[in-house]
Amino acid sequence: MFVSRSMTRGVITATPETSLFDLQELMSAHRIRHIPIVDAERKVIGIVSDRDIRSALPFRFFKEGLSEEERAKFQDIRARDIMTSPVITISPGYTIQDALLMIQNAKVGALPVVDEEGRLRGILSVRDLLRAFINVLGIGEPGTLLCILVEEKVGQLKKIVDAITEMGISFGSVLVARYWEEDKRAVFPYLLTQNVAPVKKKLTEMGYTLIDPMQWYLDQLPEKEKEPPPRS
Amino acid sequence: MRRTGLVYDERFLRHRTGPYHPEVPERLTAVMQGLREGGLLERVVPLPAEPAELTWVHAVHSAEYVRRFEAACRKGETVFDSPDNQMCRETYEVALLAVGGVLAACREVLEGRLDNAFCAVRPPGHHAEANRAMGFCYFNNVAIAARYIQRRFGIERIGIIDFDVHHGNGTQHIFEEDSRVFYYSIHQHPSFAYPGTGREFEYGRGVGYGFTKNSPALPGQGDEEYRRLLERDLLPAFEEFRPEVILVSAGFDAHRDDDMSDIALSTEGYDWIMEQILALAAAHSRHRLISVLEGGYCLTRLPELARNHVQALLDG
Repeated sequence: MFVSRSMTRGVITATPETSLFDLQELMSAHRIRHIPIVDAERKVIGIVSDRDIRSALPFRFFKEGLSEEERAKFQDIRARDIMTSPVITISPGYTIQDALLMIQNAKVGALPVVDEEGRLRGILSVRDLLRAFINVLGIGEPGTLLCILVEEKVGQLKKIVDAITEMGISFGSVLVARYWEEDKRAVFPYLLTQNVAPVKKKLTEMGYTLIDPMQWYLDQLPEKEKEPPPRS
Repeated sequence: MRRTGLVYDERFLRHRTGPYHPEVPERLTAVMQGLREGGLLERVVPLPAEPAELTWVHAVHSAEYVRRFEAACRKGETVFDSPDNQMCRETYEVALLAVGGVLAACREVLEGRLDNAFCAVRPPGHHAEANRAMGFCYFNNVAIAARYIQRRFGIERIGIIDFDVHHGNGTQHIFEEDSRVFYYSIHQHPSFAYPGTGREFEYGRGVGYGFTKNSPALPGQGDEEYRRLLERDLLPAFEEFRPEVILVSAGFDAHRDDDMSDIALSTEGYDWIMEQILALAAAHSRHRLISVLEGGYCLTRLPELARNHVQALLDG
């Protein structure tokens, strides 16, 4: 699971001299929210997000547009004036896990992917990460999710996987929730089959507890909290 | 009393699946037993099943897919496209016969000799995609029927109601860009059940946007939730769409005794669903309705569920 496998290639870029209005047009034409700013050698020197653009323009622009005269005032704003610099970048050899943690810590929506010379190779956005995780969960393929309660000791997962494999059923994914009940784990195999009744029967006969699917979620719902009133 | 047709052929029993497989010939035996014990076999019009003309199968499935399926059966392959789809040498012929039976029922209804019909066929169809067999399904019986009704009889608005406990991904995808076919499905929520599609936000695509509607029900839910969802989603959608013909993908696997799902409908719950569907048929489609068997695996419940289903069609 390396970044190079999940990043978007053929990145739309701009130069420090690109105007704000051109940046905005590029974003809406390509339906993107981040544009890396590169120099002549394609080294990344900044990044502009749709938020940077919004902050640079008055609210009225988005509501009713601007007159020619007002528009002229913003004509001179260039990428270099609004871009974030320096940029947090990652390398193609980073793992998806690295990228997840970086995006969470840095609170950004996308990370340019650069090689050792600092040249742009791709971009990894929250959207790309979502796609990668849909892939990991296996939910792009038809299947059925089970939830099995197991004791926290070595070899449990192997027994379950072996039993299901013996029935000729493939796995879309297997997730493990580490804290369920004391000394228990919950295993969620996503099985690429419609025919789960015999699997459930076999696992029950082996002594495993299958959890009522509604408990997967309901148990996790927080108590109703008192919400503060909206600020007037 | 309605003039109700029944499609059944003993050759449907020749499609054999393997060990651990719930889609067994005994399902149809159970269905027929229920109809016989209910004294319904004397009251329905039996419809013979002939193999469907490939032209109609090709209206939904690519020629390449059909050839691939036929070749796999002839070679004696025991699975096709996924380990779920277990089969035998006869499966291709039986699948073609099932389609033929459903088309015969459509013809009788559209030409006015019958009001409605139930097709006790297998293999089932609603998971079958244009180019892929899935979830025990090879040819999408209901989708082919809809194309047949559209093209042969020039019908403008066809409503499909799928109450199998699993989402009919094949049917939805085949018609997702078609505004003349409204696909409605109620099923166990796709995060908990096969095939993982049929989420509430799937509404169709392009000109077909707004002509697909899904009502996912959470595990453990039963009659009350189905009533709420059907009243909220199906009834207003069909009031507005006004289907000229209704096709039903009838799956009986949402029954509480069926271990293929975590939905707990009662037999009376199923009766209520049919009442609503027949009221829609009376209001919009001049009673024209063709119901096709999909899932339903509880051999002890199938007799009563099938009996009540056909009884409702006769009373419709």
